Amino acid sequence: MKTKKGYRLRQLGKEYILVAEGLEVMGANQMISMNETAAFLWEAVEGKTFDTEALAKLLVDEYGISMEVAEKDVTALLQTWNKAGVIED
Amino acid sequence: MKKTYRVAGHKFAVVMPDNDAAWNEMGPYEPFVCVDASDCLFTAELLEAMPDTSDKQKVTVSCEGSDMPRIELYEWRGQWLMEMAPLLEAPVRAYLLTDKTFQEAKFRILGSIRFSLGTSLMLMFAFATARKNTLLMHSSVTVKDGKGYLFLGKSGTGKSTHSQLWINNIEGCSLLNDDNPVLRVMEDGEVHVFGSPWSGKTPCYQNIDVPVGAIVNLRQAKKNTIRRMSLVEAYAAMYVSFSGYRFIKEMADGLHATNEKVVGTVPCYALDCLPDAEAAWLCYKTVSQ
Repeated sequence: MKTKKGYRLRQLGKEYILVAEGLEVMGANQMISMNETAAFLWEAVEGKTFDTEALAKLLVDEYGISMEVAEKDVTALLQTWNKAGVIED
Repeated sequence: MKKTYRVAGHKFAVVMPDNDAAWNEMGPYEPFVCVDASDCLFTAELLEAMPDTSDKQKVTVSCEGSDMPRIELYEWRGQWLMEMAPLLEAPVRAYLLTDKTFQEAKFRILGSIRFSLGTSLMLMFAFATARKNTLLMHSSVTVKDGKGYLFLGKSGTGKSTHSQLWINNIEGCSLLNDDNPVLRVMEDGEVHVFGSPWSGKTPCYQNIDVPVGAIVNLRQAKKNTIRRMSLVEAYAAMYVSFSGYRFIKEMADGLHATNEKVVGTVPCYALDCLPDAEAAWLCYKTVSQ
């Protein structure tokens, strides 16, 4: 899968939001609140093709958690992203 | 003839033939006339005829509702071309042609002079100031005890009505602007709200500014309740209340930086309300603390 074009990650104080800014998503007026982990992953894979395993590996490397926990977290996150329509196959 | 105006500290010039009827419609701009014509952000010149733009490339169309203006954006020979209509379904009534740095604009009036002038100058003002700590807002603003209170909300929510409720029920409260005030983060970091020549249907064109007391996002409801918004909520409520093309990266970055400073500085509230005096009192008591 890959991230959809037109979304821009913005930092707001200590928080992160993904904002529909591009022409591709104009008029959507969409904004998705993200925690630090989600923002880290988005930034790492923006514009690239990726899968669950690749994201989980990033989490293992960054936060030193087990692959099992990382995969569980990534699966939940990808469901959120999918529902929000910010990624595509 | 060329005249210079200063709105929220930003200067711009309007150039039109001496005896053109459009000058008669510049009354709302008179309080903003500026003698010193140096350092204008942009110049907008009236065109008698448009160049042939048939090889234009469509970029996008924006319209925030069927009773709101429609703006078609095209790219034409390295410039932006905007074709504007007063309503979603109405025919094009004004053209605006500008270089991509938003310094040199030309506009053409087809229908209502006021619509063409107002829309062209508002768009140019919003674009030219987007990277200058400035936001051209869609809001109604009251002043009480030297502070400005901005009411936000979708078209038809009752922003103007809520302002009127403050003015009719709270002593010493007045209207600053009813539709398009300007927010600016000053050099010392304080956020000020400025009057402008654009005030919707209410003639209220005041060349004054006050520090902002609070920003209140309105929503119609069956009873009156108010609460403080989180940073993200406030950012989102503001985001839909000012103009700009976000697909132009520098513009989006500028607007984001200003919005971030505003919501980080000014207390922002969500008011669910009825159009009654109690709503005005609840709001005033909460936000003026």
